[in-house]
Parts: sequence; structure tokens; C-alpha cells
Amino acid sequence: MATGILSSDAAVIAVPVVTLALGILIGYLAQRSGYCSVGGFRDYYLFRHTRVLSGYLTLIAASFAGYLIFWFLTPAAMEHFFWAAAGTPLSPVPGAPGGLNTAAYLIFAAVPGFLVGFICIILGGCPIRQTVMASEGNVRAGFFFIGMCVGSIIFAAVVSGWVVTLMQALGFGA
Amino acid sequence: MVPDPGMPPTRSLASRLSRHPAFLGALIGILAAFSQALLISAGGPEAYGFCVACHTRDLVNGMTNIIAGTSLALAAISKNALLPVMSVAGVLIGAFLSAKVHREHRIRRSDARGYLVYFLGGVIVLQLAMIFGGCPYRAALRTGYGDVTALVFIITMAAGVVAGTVLMLKRAEAGEEP
Repeated sequence: MATGILSSDAAVIAVPVVTLALGILIGYLAQRSGYCSVGGFRDYYLFRHTRVLSGYLTLIAASFAGYLIFWFLTPAAMEHFFWAAAGTPLSPVPGAPGGLNTAAYLIFAAVPGFLVGFICIILGGCPIRQTVMASEGNVRAGFFFIGMCVGSIIFAAVVSGWVVTLMQALGFGA
Repeated sequence: MVPDPGMPPTRSLASRLSRHPAFLGALIGILAAFSQALLISAGGPEAYGFCVACHTRDLVNGMTNIIAGTSLALAAISKNALLPVMSVAGVLIGAFLSAKVHREHRIRRSDARGYLVYFLGGVIVLQLAMIFGGCPYRAALRTGYGDVTALVFIITMAAGVVAGTVLMLKRAEAGEEP
């Protein structure tokens, strides 16, 4: 069990407070900058514009730098950093559906990745851009956000079980 | 904070920084790592500092569990904490405040077909993101954490964007011809 700066008694109270503050800051700046992940790749492909793409690429680099810094400062909180060197390199950091083999996780990355990029660019923005546009008063983007909320319950109640059963039936069990 | 229409083109450094996506990218990356260092005692997973899809799932399912007494799945950090992660609620509030302060808030309506398409888009994108275990943002965090599968997600996402853009270009060209 990983331990962070706060004890677990303090952390359970701090979780909603800290994440809310973090979200407000990110939402404010995302509205200012038009931050978008898929939009960056589109602008680069169409016009060779790098402004929006720089936001996403900086995020990857900065998260590596951030995790590295806090891995030095609080190693107990960064239990599996750097994942690719720490264990089985091709299995994902926990958080994805469990009980499957490496090939299944690569399929789970490649296929949803392509479809998320494809669908989001046709709808004009990645999940954070849609959320920000909803806050700006775009009703369509608001329906995208409501769709994500309803989808959360559908996934937990139905789809997550199906996906694992299907992959195990296809021979991708761990 | 309201920009003066007669303001000279040289903006302050803070204003220029706040409008550049790279500044926000750097900020999310560092703060996501800080938030993990601060809060991981409440529960995992790792590289979970910020994610629009996962945190929406945690917020919706967590509040549904509290209000309706259900037991929908959510991440350990949200299950153990007093309330689930609130970052998506924060994004909605922050973006609303910014849009109001900068007078960019305007209701833009569409038709019923548009609403249905975007609603279904939201449902489907959430399923896909959950199958992978994160939206494009957690994919970036996971890549920074050393997760190769997340890098695969980003590469195929870029391919999907190119495919979608080509399709839209073709459609636009077909639409322009009589």
C-alpha cells in the first residue's frame, strides 16, 4: 500500500477538496487556452500549427518530470514509477479492467485509442474540450457531458462485465 | 481581469501564459504528480491525478452509490474518500467562471439531432475510455509514468484523428461541389 504525504485519515477528507481546487484551476486555464488533446493533432495535420499540440506534448513531458521529482521526494507515494522498468513493461498501470493478458491490454489501448480520436475529432473536441464548451454555454457539448455521466453508470452496470467476459472467451484471459 | 477592448497588444506575462496551452500542460503534469504524492494514502490507482472520463465515472457512480445505496464500480481513491474526486465538477465551475469573467459565455443551441448525436458520442467515448482505463489526459499521465500501453493509445488516437480529419475534408469537398 502506497503512502503519501497525508496520512490516510487526512487524505480521505482532502481528496474532494484538493481535486475540486485542481479542477477549478484546470477548467479556468483550459477555457482561456482552448486546451484540447485531439484538436492539437488535427491542427498539426491540417495546418502544421503546433500551438494546441504543444499543450498535450508538454503534458506528457511535465507528468514525467513531475512524477520523477516526487519519486525523489516521496518515493513511497510513487510505488511503481517508472512502470516500464519496474515490472512487466507491457501491462498497464492499474486502473483498467483486470484479469486479462498483455495482448488484451494492447488491444484495449489500440482500438479505443483509434476510436476515441476518430469520434472526438468529428464531434469537435476531446472530453475536456467538450466539458469546457458545455460550461461556455454550448448545449450540444452539454449533451456530450450528460452522455458521459449516463455512460458511467452503463459501463459499471453492464459493459465492464461484458468486455472482460468477451475477451476471456476469445482466449485473452490472464 | 476583464480585458479592456482598448488594451494595447502587449499583454502581461501572466495573461500570455494563461492563454498558452503548453503552460496548462506543464501545470497539469506537475500538479497531477503532486496530487498523487499528497493523496495516494487514500487509495490508488497510480497516475490518476487528472482524468476527465475516469473522474466523471467516479463522481457519478460515487454520488449514485451515496444517494441511492448502489455499489457501482469506481476507483479505490474515490471509494475510500469522504466524497469521490471532484476535479470534473471543478473543470465545469472553473471554465464557467472564466467564460463569465471574460464575457465569452453564450448559450449556443442546436437541433434535437445534434443533441442526440453528442449524447450518444458521450456515452460511447466514455465506454471506450473506460475499456482503456483513461481519457487522453490519463493516457498522457500514464505515459509519463512509464506505461507503454498508454503510449500505444496516444499513437492510435493520433491515427484516429487523422482518419477523422480526412473524412471530414472529403465530406466538405463533396458538399462544396454542386
